[in-house]
Amino acid sequence: MGDGLQPALCILLLAVVTLTSACAPPPEAVTETALASAERGKAAIERVGCASCHTITGISWPQGKTGPALDGLERRGLIAGELPNRPEVLAAFVQDAPALVPDTAMPAMPLTDREALDVAAYLYEIGR
Amino acid sequence: MLEAWPPPIFDPAGPYAWPITTLSWVLLAMAAAVLVLVVVALWLALFGSQRAQAKVGGTKIIWMAGIALPVVVLTALLLYGLWLTSSLSDEIEGDEMRVRVTGEMWWWRVAYLDDEGQPVSHDANELHIPVGQPVVLELESGDVIHSFWVPRLSGKLDMIPGRRNLMRIQADEPGVYGGQCAEYCGGPHALMGFVVVAHEPPAFARLMIERTAREQAPAPGAASQGAELFQTTGCAACHRIAGTDANGLAGPDLTFMGARRTVGAGILPNNTGTLMGWIGNSQAIKPNNRMPPYPVLSREELQAITAYLEMQR
Amino acid sequence: MKSETGFDPALFDRFPTKEERPPGEIEELERVWRAPRGWGLLTAVNNNYIGTFYVGAAFMFFVLAGFLALVMRVQLALPLQGVLPQETYNQFFTMHGTLMMFLFAVPMMEALGVLLLPQMLAARDLPFPRLSAYAFWAYFIGGTCFFMSLFFGLAPDGGWFMYPPLTSTTYSPGINADFWLLGIGFIEISAIAGAIEILVGVLKTRAPGMTLARMPIFAWAMLVFAAMILIAFPAVILATLLLELERALNWPFFDATRGGDPMLWQHLFWFFGHPEVYIIFLPAAGLVSMMVSALSRVTLVGYQLVVLALLATGFISFGVWAHHMFTTGMPTLSISFFSAASMAVSVPAGIQVFSWIATLAAGKPRHNTPTLFLVGGIVTFVIGGLTGVMVAMVPFDWQVHDTHFIVAHLHYVLIGGSVFPVFAGLYYWTPMMSRRPLSERLGKWVFWLMFAGMQITFLPMHLTGFMGMPRRVYTYLPGMGLEPTNMISTVGALTFGVGVALFIYDLARNFRFAVEGTAGNVYGGGTLEWLPNGLYAARSIPVVRSREPLWDDPNLGDDVEQGRYFLPGTPTGQRETIITSPIRAEPQYLQIMPGPSVWPLLGALFTAGFFLLLTIQAYTPAVISGILAIPSIMRWLWETDRPVAKQEVDVGGGIRLKTYATGPSTHGWWAMIMLLIVAFMVFLMLVFGFLFVFGVHPEYWIDFNASGPALPIAAVYTAGGALVLLGRHLLQREGSTLWSPTTQVLLGCLALAGAWILDFALWQDAGIDPEASAQGALIMAFLSLEGFLVGVAVLMGAYLALRTSRNMIERPRSVTFDVTMLFLVYTAAQGAASTLLTRLFPGGL
Repeated sequence: MGDGLQPALCILLLAVVTLTSACAPPPEAVTETALASAERGKAAIERVGCASCHTITGISWPQGKTGPALDGLERRGLIAGELPNRPEVLAAFVQDAPALVPDTAMPAMPLTDREALDVAAYLYEIGR
Repeated sequence: MLEAWPPPIFDPAGPYAWPITTLSWVLLAMAAAVLVLVVVALWLALFGSQRAQAKVGGTKIIWMAGIALPVVVLTALLLYGLWLTSSLSDEIEGDEMRVRVTGEMWWWRVAYLDDEGQPVSHDANELHIPVGQPVVLELESGDVIHSFWVPRLSGKLDMIPGRRNLMRIQADEPGVYGGQCAEYCGGPHALMGFVVVAHEPPAFARLMIERTAREQAPAPGAASQGAELFQTTGCAACHRIAGTDANGLAGPDLTFMGARRTVGAGILPNNTGTLMGWIGNSQAIKPNNRMPPYPVLSREELQAITAYLEMQR
Repeated sequence: MKSETGFDPALFDRFPTKEERPPGEIEELERVWRAPRGWGLLTAVNNNYIGTFYVGAAFMFFVLAGFLALVMRVQLALPLQGVLPQETYNQFFTMHGTLMMFLFAVPMMEALGVLLLPQMLAARDLPFPRLSAYAFWAYFIGGTCFFMSLFFGLAPDGGWFMYPPLTSTTYSPGINADFWLLGIGFIEISAIAGAIEILVGVLKTRAPGMTLARMPIFAWAMLVFAAMILIAFPAVILATLLLELERALNWPFFDATRGGDPMLWQHLFWFFGHPEVYIIFLPAAGLVSMMVSALSRVTLVGYQLVVLALLATGFISFGVWAHHMFTTGMPTLSISFFSAASMAVSVPAGIQVFSWIATLAAGKPRHNTPTLFLVGGIVTFVIGGLTGVMVAMVPFDWQVHDTHFIVAHLHYVLIGGSVFPVFAGLYYWTPMMSRRPLSERLGKWVFWLMFAGMQITFLPMHLTGFMGMPRRVYTYLPGMGLEPTNMISTVGALTFGVGVALFIYDLARNFRFAVEGTAGNVYGGGTLEWLPNGLYAARSIPVVRSREPLWDDPNLGDDVEQGRYFLPGTPTGQRETIITSPIRAEPQYLQIMPGPSVWPLLGALFTAGFFLLLTIQAYTPAVISGILAIPSIMRWLWETDRPVAKQEVDVGGGIRLKTYATGPSTHGWWAMIMLLIVAFMVFLMLVFGFLFVFGVHPEYWIDFNASGPALPIAAVYTAGGALVLLGRHLLQREGSTLWSPTTQVLLGCLALAGAWILDFALWQDAGIDPEASAQGALIMAFLSLEGFLVGVAVLMGAYLALRTSRNMIERPRSVTFDVTMLFLVYTAAQGAASTLLTRLFPGGL
């Protein structure tokens, strides 16, 4: 049941994090992603089904295993092993990965620019 | 899957659903009225004046409210209900379009039939119908009991092994209507959805012509790496793609996979990512479904198969 | 005044008697009824003990099943959670439903019957105390092991109605489903034993003068309840047997690919399953009728109407089973019939509800915990009844069937119609069994938490159903709008759970089991269970002159305690009670009752062992356990039906009763007839299945050309029955030797066994293959059923011979002989009928 409580705890945590993040946005991210919302990002992730391939903290279903788990993103040096780890780059990557990294397995996903930024915000939220 | 708001039962979209919505409102009103009556009687019994208590505290109220009232109300309701039952299930004339839908653990096999009852086009987990015409569904089961339910178009009807149940649906507006298996069928029964897509008649006729033709034609992308992998990695053992050697019948027909709206029987939107995730490890998405995970596929192989399936439209 | 049995009712006027009772009489009574101590308590058979154990066990299963529900609600609080994996969730909801229906609701009602009925009827005990003990132990052992399957991942997961083919070996290969089929099938046997006990108890052991019209409503309700069990439960027993045979031996009763039909299960299951709902509701309604009257201090308004309502419910409920099958594509004509019957059954419910309201208005109900539970129960039940009328409307059912709307509906009915009344009853009757009553202050908290929890959980759930959420789903997708109502329901469920937990705390603090020195009649009830009591129930058995004797005769308690009524002592020096006639309750004879014994416990243990070991496929230990069960049960019976030194005794007021009776008026005869009704219902259901499957798939049926031997075999069966009847005739005649009647019975047994072997062998010759088609499977099922009866008949014959050889069958004391005869004659009749049916239909006609 440890797993089971996780979602509930995470949601609680997420709420807290969302509130605090309004006060202390991550450095570098201020200009581009000030308006991005992790909450909307989560909804977009659920809508397009990112979790079909990736296990994502806070998304209890699906917990796909085809792609890598998306945690600790904040601490990673590079995205997909070669891109600088910055919100606008992450947003561009989740929207159209093959355009940035031609040999990635990750396909382009049907996300708007706005949603892509939101998704990136969510991934940073959980990646701390 | 079903959109829950507005509640589909109160948001009917066809002539086999809206009379039931009317009935539902009538029943709710009846239930509310009787409940108020009982609560008022109970209130008077417990807290009413002596006069009120004397009125309530005798056999007269049993005769009036416990016998006469229910008999009258129930008789009226019963006549209404029986009339509605028979009007909703009047003779099927036989000139309607027919589709055979077979419940499988835990997806739906769909076959569009011609006038002789022969399948002319196969699909799965998605049912296309023309707007404004009744479509007769032949409901069957390939394993255990399932129940076919598209609440905005009709009530539900069970799919029972060894039997064929007939039901009619009709949509008055083009659109996508969610459906769901309503009889517990084990394992991931909760994740056994589907969609009904209603088209304007000309568009529907075009679709059917295209699809019937496609069944006889070679499949697109036959020369691609994905086509080869589809055969060699074992996909073809369970899945069929018309016009290829892939003839498996255990799993959903993939002839029109690329055009489908959902992945995994109505549970995920169909895009490259979800399709790839499903192929790679569907067990992580829909636990205990019949498709094994494929961790052996390399990145390129996975991409190739996904691309191949997306060509099947 | 008219008389039913020739007993002069004027004799009742001798009571209360005036003369002093002899000294030492009460001490003797206490000695005879003394309970065993320490571990010996396990051998107790007295209803005070068995009833309390029984209620406690049923309550335990309620708590366990409720706990499962709470975990499920936590899982559903949010979409796509992982509190319970899919497999475990599916086991949880199956177990929740099964435990609540089979291990809580029905046993709780039987338990309350065992506990309360003897006291309410002022009988010393129920007529077959050892059978009660057996029924309880079988249920407790079987139920506990069944529950344990959850810890090994072996719990069934097919839903509590276990529809095949999902539950066939193809789709449920593990032994999980077998746990359900064997476990529940076995627990049903215990329920039937309890029902026979209750029926005979209500009809034959009422206090003198307690005519049917003076019977407490609860006794009426239990009468209908037990009769319904006899009719309904055989259907599910047969269904579980057939499905188990299909799973174990590959006999395709429900397999459509070999001419079986999955719908046969649904018909059999719901022929039991719907009456089951009323089986649960009626006793609770009886409790409500008792309590509203007692708590309002006024006699029940419309007693006759309520009795009629109980009877009507019993009848109509057998015509509504298919309303669970409106979405299976049945013909419009039949669903119209079932729709009409389903609506009709709500009229008797309406009668009862308004009778309760009228009673509350006529009296002065006080604001206490039982009253709160009653009023809360009425409101809740009415809501459930109204949604019941809604789903009886076929087109509406097409939409909401198998959605959360149904979940809400059935919980309103069962919690309002059964759980709240039972809690009211626990508060109301605890003072009868405990030194202290339960706390009124805590009780109000318990009520409000449970009531609020109930409404918060299930009212929004109707909407969840309208929003399209099916039942039995381990999760749902986010973003569809299902989150709010599900979260509210979970909060409500937890609230309900807190209420139950508080009740357990109250029990722990205040419940102290006692038979004497109890808190007593704190709520001022007027019926006989509130007489001063001992283990022997009331000191003397009063003459009943009205429906609430304690209200109408303020001296009654004192007179009873001073021994001024029937049976103030123990004239034979054994446990005994007065058997009265079924309608007017005129004293007929004195029944000698068996005392504590370890054999019912061992019998239950070995029977349970047989079924449970069979489930886990330990076949040899299972057979050993089964064989051990037989001598255990025979040993328990051996001590019954013994000669009594005094032929006739004074039971008070100079009235003399025989200590032994023979023939159709005896409680043994009645019980055997009821058992045979059960056997007949099983047979009838099998006949139904035979014809039904033929009707659905005649193309699978072949002509075996087996009609030739039909008449000869039937003749041999008939001859067996005739020999047994001849034996009974000889027994009544002076002059025949002692052995000769029993010899006839043994010859009869031989004929039955011969006929069966002939039948079986000729079918083998005809090339029958039970695995090939449903036809073969059904014919083999007939043979197996008959074979089982013949086996039991032979055992009974052997038992009779053994007793005869020990000179224990002495003319005219023929009860053992009579029950054997009844069973054998029935076996012969069923054998002849089934051989004619299977051999002549359809080919030979």
